[in-house]
Amino acid sequence: MSWETVIGLEIHVQLSTESKLFSGGSTGFGAEPNTHVDLIDLGLPGVLPVANREAFYKAIRFGLATNAEINQTSTFDRKNYFYPDLPKGYQITQMALPVVGKGSIKIEVDGEEKIVNITRAHLEEDAGKSIHDLFDGETGVDLNRAGTPLLEIVSEPEISNAKEAVAYFKAIRQIVTFLDICDGNMAQGSMRCDVNVSLKKSDEDKLGTRAEIKNINSFKFIEKAINYEIERQARILESGETVVQETRLYDSIKNETRSMRSKEEANDYRYFPCPDLLPVVISDDELDEIKNNLPELPDEKERRFIEESNLDVSEAKIIASSKTMANMFEEACDKTDDAKLIANWLVGDISALLNKDNIDLEESKLTSSNFAVLIERISDKTISGKIAKSVLEEVWESGRNVDEIIENKGLVQIQDESLLEEIALKIIENNPSQVEAYKSGKDKLFGFFVGQVMKETQGKANPQSVNEILRKLLG
Amino acid sequence: MSIQFKTINELSHMLKNKDISNKELIEETFSLIDTNTHLNAFVTLNKDASLHKAEELDKNPSSLALAGIPIAQKDLFCTKDLRTTCGSNMLSSFIPPYSATVIENLENAGCISVGKTNMDEFAMGSSNETSFYGNVQNPWGDKLVPGGSSGGSAAVVAAGIVPAASGTDTGGSIRQPASLCGISGLKPTYGRISRWGMIAFASSLDQAGPMARTAEDCALLLNEMCSHDHKDTTSLDEAIPDFTKDLNLPIKGLKIGLVKEFDLSKLDNEVVKVFEESKKQYESLGAEFIDISLPNISLSVPTYYVVAPAECSSNLSRFDGVKFGKRCDDPKDLEELYIKTRSEGFGDEVKRRILIGSYVLSAGFYDAYYKKAQQVRRLIKNDFDSAFKQVDVIMSPTTRGGAFEEGSKGDDPIQMYLEDLFTIPANLAGLPALSIPNGIVDNKPIGLQLIGNFLEESKLLQVAHNFQISTDWHKRTPNGDVKS
Amino acid sequence: MDKKTVSTIAYLSRLALNEENGEKITQDLENIIKFVDQLENANTQNIEPLASPLEKTAKTRNDEVTAKNRKETFLERSPKSNDDYFLVPRVVE
Repeated sequence: MSWETVIGLEIHVQLSTESKLFSGGSTGFGAEPNTHVDLIDLGLPGVLPVANREAFYKAIRFGLATNAEINQTSTFDRKNYFYPDLPKGYQITQMALPVVGKGSIKIEVDGEEKIVNITRAHLEEDAGKSIHDLFDGETGVDLNRAGTPLLEIVSEPEISNAKEAVAYFKAIRQIVTFLDICDGNMAQGSMRCDVNVSLKKSDEDKLGTRAEIKNINSFKFIEKAINYEIERQARILESGETVVQETRLYDSIKNETRSMRSKEEANDYRYFPCPDLLPVVISDDELDEIKNNLPELPDEKERRFIEESNLDVSEAKIIASSKTMANMFEEACDKTDDAKLIANWLVGDISALLNKDNIDLEESKLTSSNFAVLIERISDKTISGKIAKSVLEEVWESGRNVDEIIENKGLVQIQDESLLEEIALKIIENNPSQVEAYKSGKDKLFGFFVGQVMKETQGKANPQSVNEILRKLLG
Repeated sequence: MSIQFKTINELSHMLKNKDISNKELIEETFSLIDTNTHLNAFVTLNKDASLHKAEELDKNPSSLALAGIPIAQKDLFCTKDLRTTCGSNMLSSFIPPYSATVIENLENAGCISVGKTNMDEFAMGSSNETSFYGNVQNPWGDKLVPGGSSGGSAAVVAAGIVPAASGTDTGGSIRQPASLCGISGLKPTYGRISRWGMIAFASSLDQAGPMARTAEDCALLLNEMCSHDHKDTTSLDEAIPDFTKDLNLPIKGLKIGLVKEFDLSKLDNEVVKVFEESKKQYESLGAEFIDISLPNISLSVPTYYVVAPAECSSNLSRFDGVKFGKRCDDPKDLEELYIKTRSEGFGDEVKRRILIGSYVLSAGFYDAYYKKAQQVRRLIKNDFDSAFKQVDVIMSPTTRGGAFEEGSKGDDPIQMYLEDLFTIPANLAGLPALSIPNGIVDNKPIGLQLIGNFLEESKLLQVAHNFQISTDWHKRTPNGDVKS
Repeated sequence: MDKKTVSTIAYLSRLALNEENGEKITQDLENIIKFVDQLENANTQNIEPLASPLEKTAKTRNDEVTAKNRKETFLERSPKSNDDYFLVPRVVE
């Protein structure tokens, strides 16, 4: 029996506005509980929502970047249900007329490209947080997050396996970070994903019953959850039973999905237009302004790096694929006009360090400004390339300032030609047999002299100068 | 000099002439409150703060329009640090941390909020019989209802305890009690007055408004109550005129519409007589009556009883025992917390409306009920738009009769709902409407309703004021006197 | 109105229908729904539903943090809380 997997993803992206979708409460992460709560976020009797324009602008940027229909007039609806971290007993969302309609995004899996269509992207408010394990027999409710603007991005059910799902998720993450509408911080919950999985017989058109796995926030878990679910559903279907349409949670410790304990038949959200919010209209002028100020996307950056900075395709691809790395590249280029040098470091040493530690660049201790200084110091010959490697390692570990490290460790490159000449002469004097051997044709011994000078100067001698001087003195 | 039954203008004069000090005025107000506790019109009194404010005014006189005027505030408006119950057990200890915009507006104009008035629970009712804090008495007779939901506000003005009170009107809750208590009350165009701080019942229908002894006083209050509030995006930013400016303009040539579909023959003879007398009065002032048709008007009440419950079922979901308001004792789990808190906290009428609301919004019924009702609502609005091309204002009785006895509407909620037959259409269309006293039958006041076009409160008040300068129904008091 | 519908609606609304009020409320609901069924008679073909009596669009706000920290005020006025959180009976997911 061959089963075809049909997957659709609903990704919730926390928009990086300063304030909430309907109130002036702060969206900052990590604050003390219930300190970022406005009267409106609390849902007190008599309060009213007022929509945050910036949230619309960010949503529209996403629409433009995915070639989507933009609904300049969009409306809000109420989704009614009871939960402790949902203060009003309803969530304000966009059901009938979302701000962004159909669009599409390109993903790449194992070198092959595929287009995934997006059904819609709409604005809605986030709920607060329920903390279940801290208090004896009670659940604590923190409403800091309540009201944070979310962009819910719904894909068509066109994804066929876990790898594609991860690629799609990564592609969305790349877009939202490049567009500067979300910080992409998975650990902080800036992006969460609900996955819908169903199986159908390859020769049938009709879709199977789907199960929804809620709230996954890591690439690894998305892949595992999907693979587990596919197996689970296949087992059910093979034994002649039917899959239950339900909501499930992924348990990362046991690596399984399990059914959520809720009364399914009572999940009637009774959507209706929110009477407190009139339709929001984004004018043609505003739309033009958003279009004209759209941040550069990875593809465009790649092209620009190749054309303007003369990077080769593979370098450009790597650097343009991460917003943080692209920023780092651009900032360094601003200070030091040596794109190739900068690219080498990013694609070489830094990428190697990232792989070794298995982290993303934004999680490292290396900042753009510090990196720019490092490049500057190499370029202006304050330190040699070799020394720079050790400086980089120090920065990677400690996050300390490049200039501080150079000074404290006395790593400044020796450029003084007369001093180097002095040292070189001394080496030559002390090693007459090697000099003779070199002069009689053993070219490889040149390296010995270079090495000795470097040793004498604790590696701080400017290698090019050393080369030139030794060539001059040795003939 | 007694302050009872005085209008805002009369009291302002007394204060300015120093016939009475601010403090004396407030002291006497509380004296009147004390001798009228049988009305059960107040839920919470604000004596200390009121006296303090009055003393301040005596020390530093103010030229504000309503300086020193005592006002009763319907307990539906959030008042900072002063208990706000909305007539419900659910909010019996609720102390809001902020004040409604309309409260701030009135207090910034110099008003002194003497207390919070009793009301039908969560504004749902037409007789003030659903309040957790007991029924309100109509000053015109024992065991008579004052109307609802702004029953307490109507009673205190009718009893002459305060010259003015704030009310709210979703289906007639200002106009109907004004009519049953023999006072004047106005519901402005939807959006004139900010809803920030008004505990929501049906968001697309709710409006605050003034209740007072005369149309002129309503105009004075309206001037201060209206504002464009950026905290309420449904509040209008149209220019706010001085609503008192045109009061005295004559109404010669005014075209008054009479709604064909309001079959007045079904009303009590005496009530019809009162209405006919008022028509004659207006004709003598130069107005002309024109029959108009509002073909869909008979569907107003069913439309309202789909839309309003739907919105309220959602608005009242925030009362869950988690963040504010009442919580049941010792809930064993989350389900019990919700179900027990809400079942204990809400009265029967509120529960009925929440259930109806959930029903008409539920999957499978949404199109047939909620969507359908919103479509009919548009038809009703269109009917009014056409009518106002032919007439300046529309006139009708406010209610089918005078105040009825407590408990007389029996067990059938629909009987109560039909009380609002004449008042509901204006809410559905968002139009301004008012009620002024125009007669007395069996010692019970009768009210006259005027409905105006969008933003035409000034015209309505002018039409009402013209009636009041040539009649004295608004000067009648419950003890049978006619004020001078 | 069948019992299941009524109990589902009651559950959605988190209201208890018991021996005492269950029957009356069910009867009331039936009567009210029958009353509003009149709406069927209206010809509403091609009529746009009216969500708000205002024919205008929303004003929006600038993206600014304007809220102060009022944690203490909110928590002390709540039915049950500790120094940091609102508290409810333990929720099992």
